Amino acid sequence: MDNMDNTAVDFAIDEKMILVKESIKTREEIIRKLGGLLFENGYVKDTYTQAVLNREITYPTGLPARVAGVAVPHTDTEHVIKPAIAIATLASPTTFYMMGSPDVEVKVEIIIMLAIHDAKLVIPVLRKIIFILEDDAALTKIKEAKTKSEIKQAMLDHIKSLSEKGK
Amino acid sequence: MYKVKIIVVCGSGVAMAMHAAFKLREALEKEKLYVHIDGTGNNELASRIGSYDMVVSNAQVTVKTDKPVFSAIPLITGVGEKELLAQIVAKVKEIQEAKNGAK
Repeated sequence: MDNMDNTAVDFAIDEKMILVKESIKTREEIIRKLGGLLFENGYVKDTYTQAVLNREITYPTGLPARVAGVAVPHTDTEHVIKPAIAIATLASPTTFYMMGSPDVEVKVEIIIMLAIHDAKLVIPVLRKIIFILEDDAALTKIKEAKTKSEIKQAMLDHIKSLSEKGK
Repeated sequence: MYKVKIIVVCGSGVAMAMHAAFKLREALEKEKLYVHIDGTGNNELASRIGSYDMVVSNAQVTVKTDKPVFSAIPLITGVGEKELLAQIVAKVKEIQEAKNGAK
């Protein structure tokens, strides 16, 4: 709890792990796709995706932000090799369940999948990513983005604006 | 002055609750309220809750307790955050006063 400085942490946000207006039918499908991208690019172990799916049942990650429903699937650090995020927007919303309320549905349009290898080490950076849930302008840009580079840029701009505010 | 002890609970004990805990501490410090905050995983809550005055959780709290329990979700999404913080601030002050009065 005492590590509040902004030590630079190499947290990958790569267009190879971004999907735009993806057409899927279930949350499992999008979790498998994003988990597959993290695996192919060497950020997580082959056990990661199944662990995320299992965790999503017990501890769902749907969050109703002002701009859109956002899900932040993740799992224990032991399945992660190095820190990264994978992002997807959906062609049409899909159902997740709400964090803290496993029987409440959330229609999700944006999925930010977190690969965390060391919670203490990545927390300063991870916090900036989570802060995007409250950043209506940045979240709107991601929701409406037509290309991977627009999504990546919106996330980087959001992180930069927080750093300038000293958060 | 008694320091109110808050335990922040996360489903798996990692990132989300820490984020909520940092925000909570910042907000309380703005009100000149200095509290003690620890994080824990949901599975450890039952054994630790006894030492705390208040629970803030982003997981379903199944442990039976007469202590005040607040949802951490508004701290993560920003939706309903002001209302939540007002409730927590009031509760922290109430606990502080009760504890100080008892001494």
